[in-house]
Parts: sequence; C-alpha cells; structure tokens
Amino acid sequence: MARTERADDAITEATQPAGVEPSADGRARHAIVLADPRERWRPSPIGVIARLAVIAFYILLVIAIPHLIPGTLVNVAARAAVFAIVAVSMNVLMGYAGQVSLGHQAFVGVGAFTSAYFLSEAGMPYPFALAASLATGAGAALVLGMVALRVRGLYLALITIAYGLFAKEVIFNIRSLTGGGAGLRAPRPGVFDSDIAYVYFCAAVLGLILVFDWRLTATKAGRAIEALRDDERVASSWGINVTAYKLLAFVISGSIAGLAGALFAGIEQVVSPIDFDFTLALTFVLMTVVGGLGNRWGVIQGGIFFAILPTLLEKGHSNWHFFPFTQLNAQWEPLIGALLLILTLVQFPGGIAQQQEHLLRWLRFQPFRADPVVDPALAGRKRKRGAGPSGQASGLAGPDVPGLADARPSERGTDG
Amino acid sequence: MSPGSLTLALLSGELMADVVEYPLLHAEQVSIRFGGLQALDRVDFQVNDGEIVGLIGPNGAGKTTFFNCVSGFYAPDTGRVAYRGRDITDLRPDQRVHLGIGRTFQQVGLVRSFTVLENVMVAQHQKVQYDTGGGMFGSPQSWAEEHLVRDRAFEVLDYMGLLHLAHSRLDGLSYGTLKQVEVAAVLGTDPDVLMLDEPLAGLSPEEGEAFGDRILEMREELGLTVVVIEHHVPFVLRVCDYIYVLNFGQLLAEGEPHDIRGNLAVAEAYMGEGATALA
Repeated sequence: MARTERADDAITEATQPAGVEPSADGRARHAIVLADPRERWRPSPIGVIARLAVIAFYILLVIAIPHLIPGTLVNVAARAAVFAIVAVSMNVLMGYAGQVSLGHQAFVGVGAFTSAYFLSEAGMPYPFALAASLATGAGAALVLGMVALRVRGLYLALITIAYGLFAKEVIFNIRSLTGGGAGLRAPRPGVFDSDIAYVYFCAAVLGLILVFDWRLTATKAGRAIEALRDDERVASSWGINVTAYKLLAFVISGSIAGLAGALFAGIEQVVSPIDFDFTLALTFVLMTVVGGLGNRWGVIQGGIFFAILPTLLEKGHSNWHFFPFTQLNAQWEPLIGALLLILTLVQFPGGIAQQQEHLLRWLRFQPFRADPVVDPALAGRKRKRGAGPSGQASGLAGPDVPGLADARPSERGTDG
Repeated sequence: MSPGSLTLALLSGELMADVVEYPLLHAEQVSIRFGGLQALDRVDFQVNDGEIVGLIGPNGAGKTTFFNCVSGFYAPDTGRVAYRGRDITDLRPDQRVHLGIGRTFQQVGLVRSFTVLENVMVAQHQKVQYDTGGGMFGSPQSWAEEHLVRDRAFEVLDYMGLLHLAHSRLDGLSYGTLKQVEVAAVLGTDPDVLMLDEPLAGLSPEEGEAFGDRILEMREELGLTVVVIEHHVPFVLRVCDYIYVLNFGQLLAEGEPHDIRGNLAVAEAYMGEGATALA
C-alpha cells in the first residue's frame, strides 16, 4: 500500500551512493562502451562469421589430426584427449573449489581398474563399465573430500599424496581385483576398436565433459563452489551450504577422473599399477597450473601439452637433428615441467589461458581487446524511485508489512 | 477451514506468526567466551518487524561477536537465539539465510574474483528454484531461471544505484563502494532482516547521510527490518528506532534514541569519565 503510492510518485532525484569512479583505469580508453550494462555486446555479422570460421577450423583440426599423424602415434592423440579430461577434472577441484589434489592418479586409477575389471573379468557391457568407473571415481573422491572438510592447505596436500600412494601400492595390488603386477586387460568398445576411432571416442567424451563443465560454472552449483573457494564465511552468509558444495566439487572431480581412467585403460588396452605412479599425479597438477587454474580452455591445452611432451621429446631427439633437440629426450620431461611451472607462477599466474586472454575472449563472441565497459554517464542518471525491487512480482521484496509506517516498537522484555 | 486443517497449519507453523506475537529476532542470555575473554555476557536482544535497531559500543565491546552468534558463525556458550519464535541456535549460517537473515561483514564480505554482477548472482543461491543437478545437466528450467537470476541482479544493482558498475571487477573499487556492493549482494539473498556491520566505514559524511536515507527507504519499499552496528553516533540516533549499547560484552543500556542520548553511562563508555551527553 504505502509502497504502491510511492511507486506512482514523480521521478525523484536519487541520492548517489558512494564511490562512483567509472573506468578510471587506462584500459577504458580503448574499450567498447555499453549504454546499458543489461545489454550484451554482440559482434557485427562479419565478426560472427569470422569467429564461427575459426571455431570450425579448430573442430576440423581435431577431426583431422588422427589422420594427419603417423599411425604409431595415434594412441598419443587418445592420450592427449584423456589427459585433457583429467585436466578438466583437476580444474573443478583446484581451479573452482581451490582444493589441492596431489593424489589424482588414484581416482584415475580406480576408474581404470573398475572398467577393466567389469569388462574383462565380469564381462559387462561397455556403457556399464563406464558408468561403474564414474561411480567408483566419485566414491573415492568423496572419501578424500570428507577429509578435506577437516584438514586444509599443506596438510591436505600431504594427505592427498598419501592417499594416492596408498591407492597405488595397496589397492591397485589386490591381485584378485586388479591382476597385480601383470595388470588387467581393458578392451575398447566394439565400435571404436581401431586406434583412430578410439581417438574420436575420447574426443567426444571430452566434448561432453566440456559442455557439462560449462553448464556447471554457468549455474548455481558452480557459482557456489567458486564462491566458497574465495571465502567460505561469505559463501555461507549468502546461504551456500559450504560442506555440501565442497563435497560436491570432490565428487564431480572424482567422477570425471574415474571416467578418464576408463578411457585411459583403453589406450594400451591393459592397465597395471605401475601406470599410476606419483609422477603421474605431479604431471596432472603441473598441466592444470600451467594451463591456467579456473579456465577450462587453458587446462585442456595444458593437458594436451603434457600428454604429448614425452613423445615430442623422444621424436625430437631422434628425428630433428638440430640443437637443442639433439640434447633432449624423454628424461627431460620433469625438468621442462618444473621450468614451465616456475615461469607460470612468476610471470603468468593465469597460465596458458592468461596468455590467450584476448583470443579466448574473442572466441566467446566478445570484443578482442577488453570486456565492454559501461557508459560512465549512467552513474549520474536519475533513479526512478520505487522502480527497483519493490513488488512481489520481482520476487525480491520481503513480505508486505501492512501499515509499516505506523509500526512502532512494541512492548519489549523488561530484562536487561 | 476445517478444525483438522487448522491444527495442521498450527503444527506446521504457518499460522504461528499470525496467532502468537513473536518478535522477529530474539536473543536471550547469549554468552560466549574466548579463552580468558568474556566476549558476550548474558546479552538480551530483541528486534520487532519493521524496526531499525542500532547496536553501538566502543571497540571490542562484542558487537560483531554478537552478529556472529545471530548469523550462526559462532555457537554461543549459553543462551538461545530465536527467529519468529523459532529456536535457531543450532542452525548453520546457510539455513539461517534461508529463513531470511542477511548480514554484511565488517571486512567487506564479497567474492573477490567475481564481478559486481556475479556477486549479486551468487548471493541469490537460495532463491534459485532448479536443483543442483538440473543446473549441471542443463535442464530447460535452469536456462530460463538463469535469465531471471541475472535480471534480478541488475534490478538490485539498479536499486542500489550501482548499475554502472555491474561488470566491474572488485579490485578497482573504493572501500565505500564495496560496502555498497556488499549490501546489494545481501539484498540478493532476499532477507527479511538485514544486519549491517559498520556500513558507513569508508563513506564520506554526505554519502553516509545518503545511506541513512537509503536504509529508511529500504524499510518502506522492501519491508525490511534492519539491525545496524555503527560507530557514527549521529547516524544511529537519526536512523534507529531503538538502540542497544554494548560495553565489555555486557548490555550497558537500551532504549529509544533520546534515552540513549541522555544516558550518562553510555556517554562515559564512549567519551570517557565525566562526559555528560552523547554526540
């Protein structure tokens, strides 16, 4: 009642709240100015075509690659796709939730052995094996997540190392389940039995995971997970159940890693405990950090790079007869990884994604140079009183309190 | 309405608020001790619907600690906190947000890596209807509702006069602006009671004055109840209907602004011995 009267009031000069300092930074000079922040910036038709062309080129590149590389190296492409999936999984945990995992090879391994067991020992159909490895990966991560609720930082990192080592040395050596040192056979799905077809299969799964990851960050759960990474107190003061969403991050990360494990098993079609060494976990962390924490396009590039790095070094050593490749071989991989990590931490905390900032923004149908800024003139405009969230329709206002203006403090307790 | 359904409604608490007059927020004998420090000592506190209540006191008096007890970040050693007659002492902070308690922090409580708009969007967490899985798997409802969430965020920013900053990162914004953004984010949670911890810190006197008007406006337009911790005594005396004064964890005085203004004990606590009037 009082509220509707006010809404009908004349437009009143609004008091300007504090700290209006629009676009004071230098970037604003080149920036594209939006008249209304509610509108999204759209590229011109030519811009749209150019972007679509580049995206189509990348997709064609992915399709063409298995045919362009020598047949003996096709498995490396599958490995690259699997590492990219692991990178997305690491990114959910490290990039979005801000948790450390130095034991991620455990989740991948659990997924790999689960799928191998159900396929070769139990003779289950492939989709079932895939679902099972997803579930066991999630379960393994949930256990670690419950630890992470109580321990954080350095101590959590140590526990994840122990967790990974325990999985490798103990669980993966249970002979009846994993075949012990000899390992387990892990056949590929029938339709994708050839090397090239298997690359496409892995790439398709990667594509699905990326769509899932995109919807995750674009909706409630992803926002909640990223908010609690920054500040758990603030997140819970906005109604986010910190415990539940931290566990959810672990479960999502673990299930993606389990799925990646099932695909990993299919590359060589045999899994053994030796595949899930601690160095693998380090590689997973390296590729995620070098790729760029929190950016899915960065981390998959990091994953692809670290998946092909050993092969690159080996082939470079034997095929490219010029310095420095004559000096390099696969044993240099850890050193190169460490140097890239230091370079990333010192120079580009955002990793590969930071260096590609402009390109990635352009591909997201945004301007190349910088995000559009809002017209500073908006700051001085008149605000229509009551035009804000003032009615039930907006879903924002609290319950209507009749006769609010007359409501004076009622009786109080006399204690105190 | 049949007698049966009335009983049911009573049991489910739907009619409780109408039938029995409960204060919106009621803290009873709240005490909390940190090591050797009695941070709060049997504090009683009550807020009624539609009031603006001030909580003042010297530094270290326990004001923020009390906020933390009400919003669920600290569990009091003794005493209960009730909201609309329901005991909420054992609820988690996020459950209290669901009931309608929104708060700000003395050190700005925002997500630093998000833009202003994203902060207001994430704050609507409890308002989002689709479930977590629906969002992750891209259900049609989640797509539609994300537009709503975005629109509502713009609406709140417009209401707070922050629309032009919607896409800004937090890094470049002044402390005073961040405090305003924080209020906008808490409005995004759709609270019934808004608990502000030193909202005027970092604002110029004119901006503080304007913010006082804004609080009064929010009560009228949004039907909000406000509890505010503030050091700026003239502001509190102007805006608040009722004031509690804390000193060394104990309730020193309570009353309407004119009572507090003339209260000798309060003046002494603030200005030192011998003072006779506040502000």
